[in-house]
Amino acid sequence: MASAITIQSVTKTYTRGGESLRVLDELDLTMDGGTFYALMGPSGSGKTTLLNLVGGLDQADSGSVRIGDVDLGELSSSELAGWRAANVGFVFQGFNLLPVLTARENVELPLLLAPLSRAQRRAQAERVLELVGLKDRMDHKPRELSGGQEQRVAIARAIATDPQVLLADEPTGDLDRTTADSVLDLLQRLNRELQKTILMVTHDPQAASYSDKVIHLDKGKLGRIDDNRAASGGRK
Amino acid sequence: MPWKLLWRNVLGHPVRSLLTVGAVAIAVFLVCVLQAVTSGLTRTLSSAAANRLLVQSAVSLFVDLPLSYQQKIAAVPGIEAICKWQWFGGRYEQDKGGFFPQFGIDPDTFAASYPEITIVEGSYADFQRERTACMVGIDTATKYGWKIGQTVPIAGTIFQRTDGRPWEFTVRAIYTSNSAAVDKISLYFPFHYLQESVEQGGAIGPDGVGVYMLRVAKGSDPLAVQQAVDGMFANGPQRVQTTTEAEFNRQFISMLGDVPTLLQLIGGAVLFAIFFAVLNTMLMAGRERTRAIGVMKALGFTDHTTGALLVAESLLLCMLGAALGIGLGLAAEAPFAAATGAFLPGFGFDEATLWLGAGIALGTGLVAGLLPGWRAARMNTIAALREVG
Amino acid sequence: MLVPLRYNLRSLFVRASATLLTVCAIGATVAVLAGMLSLQQGFAVLFQERGRDDLAVFLRKGATSEGESGLTREQCEILAKEVPEIARTTDGQPLASAELFLAVRLRKFDGGETNVAIRGVQPASFAIHGDDLRIVAGENIRPGQDELIVGQGLLGRIADCRVGDTLRINTVTFRIVGTFTGKGGYQSEIWGDLERLAAALQRPVRSRVLAKVAPGTDLAAVQERYTADLRVQPRVESEREYLASQTGDLSQRFTLLGGFLALIMGIGAVFTGTNSMLGTIGARTHEIGILKAIGYRPFAIFAAFLLEAVLLGLLGGAAGCLLVLPFQGAETGTMNQTFSEVTFAFRTTLPVLVEAIGFAGLLGLVGGLLPAWRAARMTPTQALRRG
Repeated sequence: MASAITIQSVTKTYTRGGESLRVLDELDLTMDGGTFYALMGPSGSGKTTLLNLVGGLDQADSGSVRIGDVDLGELSSSELAGWRAANVGFVFQGFNLLPVLTARENVELPLLLAPLSRAQRRAQAERVLELVGLKDRMDHKPRELSGGQEQRVAIARAIATDPQVLLADEPTGDLDRTTADSVLDLLQRLNRELQKTILMVTHDPQAASYSDKVIHLDKGKLGRIDDNRAASGGRK
Repeated sequence: MPWKLLWRNVLGHPVRSLLTVGAVAIAVFLVCVLQAVTSGLTRTLSSAAANRLLVQSAVSLFVDLPLSYQQKIAAVPGIEAICKWQWFGGRYEQDKGGFFPQFGIDPDTFAASYPEITIVEGSYADFQRERTACMVGIDTATKYGWKIGQTVPIAGTIFQRTDGRPWEFTVRAIYTSNSAAVDKISLYFPFHYLQESVEQGGAIGPDGVGVYMLRVAKGSDPLAVQQAVDGMFANGPQRVQTTTEAEFNRQFISMLGDVPTLLQLIGGAVLFAIFFAVLNTMLMAGRERTRAIGVMKALGFTDHTTGALLVAESLLLCMLGAALGIGLGLAAEAPFAAATGAFLPGFGFDEATLWLGAGIALGTGLVAGLLPGWRAARMNTIAALREVG
Repeated sequence: MLVPLRYNLRSLFVRASATLLTVCAIGATVAVLAGMLSLQQGFAVLFQERGRDDLAVFLRKGATSEGESGLTREQCEILAKEVPEIARTTDGQPLASAELFLAVRLRKFDGGETNVAIRGVQPASFAIHGDDLRIVAGENIRPGQDELIVGQGLLGRIADCRVGDTLRINTVTFRIVGTFTGKGGYQSEIWGDLERLAAALQRPVRSRVLAKVAPGTDLAAVQERYTADLRVQPRVESEREYLASQTGDLSQRFTLLGGFLALIMGIGAVFTGTNSMLGTIGARTHEIGILKAIGYRPFAIFAAFLLEAVLLGLLGGAAGCLLVLPFQGAETGTMNQTFSEVTFAFRTTLPVLVEAIGFAGLLGLVGGLLPAWRAARMTPTQALRRG
């Protein structure tokens, strides 16, 4: 069973232009392992901040973020880096592939942090690229790929180390509808077939409809949680 | 360390990388050349022979010693051989702007006193036998394409022939030297030819000797010889100064005045320029890669690795530049040495010079990589990811 | 329609750190060039500007400098008496002085030896030089005495040169009685009585005759008149010509060395400038797209970035000049053609600054060509997309 994500009275404040802004305010939230969550809310409601905290990119001012039995607040920055390498995968809106590396090399990048031989890395990269349907494009550089293909490479990179948790920040924000749908299909498939816990920030209700549950944030507090499966049995 | 990424980053900006490598190469080349000049000067000192003493006027470089001194000096115990040296100061008729030194010497004692010299063409015996013969350094012979048996016309400036014509010497030997103490550009001819010409009215010019070279016998104390010779002429008519060959050379080098300081200043400016150039490149690289750095950190690469990647890139560029610069230097060494041999003795790259070039590149690479590397390491992942670029 | 200059100025300012580093790199290059030119100026000025047209220098035929020349006492007297062009005092004495010149070994303050020019002169010398030569400390030498006066340029560099010191020349001890200032190279000489120095040095020959003539005298004609004379065949030229010929070699060497270094370092600086401008263009791709979308033509973009590069170069040039200015007036010594020490000052003149800054602008221009061309070539869609 995949690890649950437990967020207990987490507060996060940013200072911008001399003004301090409470982005997350005593937030309590529990997410089950193996579930596909969409995170929605107006701009500034703290969606990305929450995602960054769960991904160990940032640490809370107070409260605790636990993934399984690991309290992220207790890890040093280098321990966090190591933890990220093994436990989470990120998919960003801007794709964020390294332009100088080919698709396969981008996917191999996180695998360099795992104790794998060169052949093992190669095989794993090819395996996940096949999974996202891009095996035939793997020796291309990012600028030779379309937007949808770039995002699939990014997803392949995120799952390359086989992390339990997949975090996606507006993964379809830069894509057209059809391409977006195919990317969302892919995420859904990863959730269903590989039991990945997915947390996806989105503005787009249609994107959110691919998830199992939709968490609504408002001004740093938890709004409501909609259960798509309860409502319609999920899409498809 | 993701080595592949290092290479790809370098190759990802081929123009920038090439320009940086080029700039470093030029700097290393220049520093090596400047250093080769300075170390060439010191090498002429360090390779000077300990058993050769030089007697010259204590008053002036331009005052000759009387010929009568030779016999008196020869009486000093511990001296194995004496060889006269007279600066001729002529100009080759076919290349009046060019310069190479000519000396009148005693052929009978010269070769034995300078074991550094090897005859590569012709024979020393031929040179020794003939009044108007000359022995030429291989560099000068090559430069003018002189052959054995050829007659070379040299116009005298200090010694002028009364018939108004240039002096003529027949090339009988071409020598090379295996030590910085003896150059490969000089022309030597018998001193007695010069002396006879002046005495018989065939030429006008000073009738003394510039320098007496004394070869000290094995087991004799050069210092004692030195003091004995100096003491002998302390009350005139011409006071003399007896020095070791190293000291003699040092006097000539110190006459260059502030040249070494000047070269150091220039070297400093070169280093200054190259440091800023590399630092600029690396800061640009670091800034441009902000987003990539954020991605790597999100993937779980440590601050340490992301920073080290930039330092390594800087080092790589600098080392490539150093290799190229040193290569350029080595290629330019021979022509450079030939062009400057007349006034910069011993120009040449030794191991220390090359290490200096490499060391400078290493240092520059390291220091210039540290600032952007440190920035990358400290960079906040979230801010880096948000960066547009 | 050209892109407003303000845009480029602002851009240089916004990318302050890259601008500063490039300026430093170009500055160092320019400093080397300006430095070499300043040395050359200092050296050239010492001689060329100080030579006089109304002084004639008589050397032995074929000699190119005093060091090589040699005239007998009789020859000197013939010249002084017979050459009608030589000016005379009111009581009919020729204003001509036979001089003995020799570079002698003297100790430097900082250790080691150097060659210092020593000049034996006749009393007429002081009348010939007139106000150009002044005793600033102590008194002048007296004829027939073992006395010396020292040029001011030597004071800080050569030991035993102060008034009251004694200096041993060969076997004779001379007393330093005064210090003088003179024009150009004379500043770095020691003067004494001709006969006394000739005796001490055991040198009967004189090096030259210096004589006052009317300005504009045809000295070539004087030389011509003696070509067939069996007694003396002098080489005659004005002091100005003589001194100019003395500096040529070294002056040229400074210029050559400066040029060589500037060329090689300049290539490096162009690389740096190009890199910096490429970085600028990379970071401002989006802006270029906008400019193009607004309707600026490729040429305007090209001109704007080239101008920015030139500005960058000029800033570097200014920085380079600032780097060398502190050396202004610093004194250094070297050997001149006659192998004697001359002291000269580092002179950063206006033409040197103009040349240096011009060179810097050129570096910027060359360095800006490729980046500006790249910027001009971008299509608006490309540029906007990649932003």
